[in-house]
Amino acid sequence: MYGRGIYALRDVSLVVEKGEFVFLTGPSGAGKSTLLRLLLRQELPSEGSVKVAGRDLAKLTPGQAQSYRRGVGFVFQDFKLIPSKTVLDNVGLVPRVLGATSVQQQRRTFQVLKWLGLQHRMNAYPLELSGGEQQRVAIARALVNEPALILADEPTGNLDPDPSLEIMNLFRDINARGTTVLVATHNRELMRHVGRRAVTLDHGHLVEAS
Amino acid sequence: MTAHWFTYCLEEALASLQRQRVSVMLSVLTIGSALLVLGGFLLVTVNLDRAVSKWSSAAEFSVYLADDISDEQRVALNTLLGGHPAVASREYVSKADAAVRFRRDFPDLAAGLADMPQNPLPASIEVRLNPARADGATLEAFARQLMQTAGVADVRFDRRWLERLGQIASGVRWSGWILGVVLLIASVLTVATVVRLALHTRRDEVDIMQLMGAPIGLLRGPLVFEGILQGGAGALVALAALFAGYVLVRGRVLAVLGPAFDAEAVSFLPAGLSALLVLVGMAVGCAGGYLAARHVR
Repeated sequence: MYGRGIYALRDVSLVVEKGEFVFLTGPSGAGKSTLLRLLLRQELPSEGSVKVAGRDLAKLTPGQAQSYRRGVGFVFQDFKLIPSKTVLDNVGLVPRVLGATSVQQQRRTFQVLKWLGLQHRMNAYPLELSGGEQQRVAIARALVNEPALILADEPTGNLDPDPSLEIMNLFRDINARGTTVLVATHNRELMRHVGRRAVTLDHGHLVEAS
Repeated sequence: MTAHWFTYCLEEALASLQRQRVSVMLSVLTIGSALLVLGGFLLVTVNLDRAVSKWSSAAEFSVYLADDISDEQRVALNTLLGGHPAVASREYVSKADAAVRFRRDFPDLAAGLADMPQNPLPASIEVRLNPARADGATLEAFARQLMQTAGVADVRFDRRWLERLGQIASGVRWSGWILGVVLLIASVLTVATVVRLALHTRRDEVDIMQLMGAPIGLLRGPLVFEGILQGGAGALVALAALFAGYVLVRGRVLAVLGPAFDAEAVSFLPAGLSALLVLVGMAVGCAGGYLAARHVR
């Protein structure tokens, strides 16, 4: 709840099974991003609870919250890449800060870049890449730590149709490897293309789960 | 902190310092100025303390004898001096010896002495003191006792001005500490501001790392390291400036106060104090860095 009795989300009861692929959809201001921020523990619910793998996120200490986030990959509409670092360094930052050795860091980073077809761009800087390539780098960064859960907030919002389709196919491949994927989007065409469960929010309420 | 944390924090701090060269330079100069003032006061007081100590160990009484002192009075005086624990040694200076010394020390005035019908300089006994047994109160009492002894015309005792000099050195030291602490607090705030600027320029990076689950220590570490590096650099700048100043001023001080200071008596800060100055600089930087890092939660 925000101030003065305004609810960003209300009476939302949603269960996502392990290994599932779920779309969150709805118009702007429906509460999609808020739900993802709750799952990333960037915000805490004023009422009710958010549980991931049985753990109530509101009850985590700051240290436990950081530990929880290491098991979650995130992808944003605006990519959120560090412009002063190369593709290799942007993706390699995750294993690096989490204490991987230099060899482990390079191997994992290269593996994921290769899987996403970015190995030839690894020395480029984000601003030298196309939008689709930047989003693939962001996905590589989300994947490099082999998270159990991927959260994506409008990952194709800034992309043309072809790269958008390519990104959605990537998420489908990621899910096929056992990773739980939640994608917030209002692009119904892409949802139809992927063909997975869609949860619709409107004005903070869950209006449809198909 | 593991080796990888240390390396990561150091590399990030160095990269950030490189990115904001101008503001970092200002911060380093601010710390350097504060430590230069503190170091300057330290340098002066260290040398004053050394001079006071040296002069204290060389302190002496000059007991001037009346021209008409009798042999019995001379024997009684010698017995009194020989039996006192504060007296390390004594030397008799005759009227003729005093005239020789006067002509040697003041050659321009020597002719005036020769014109006098008789030698006006008194004979004296120069008493070398034992620093371990010669505390101020004991010497004051002893000087009074000597003044009241028959055959003694006057007693000159250089302890009083040494104590005054010691008090001046102490005053200089305290003034230095107070001024230094005020300037160091200002330096802490300057470092904190510069590091916060650095934090703003990499706010996105820090936010992303937070979302990745980077431990809070790893987010704050580079900022604290940045402060420590700025403080250390500031201290080195201060030491270099202090040494340059010392070399420039030393020659002039020795030229003016040559008879009182010998070349060995004036020296630069000892290695321990120089290292302490660097550590103080790093501590100041660390405090500034931590103040800024607290904004990362």
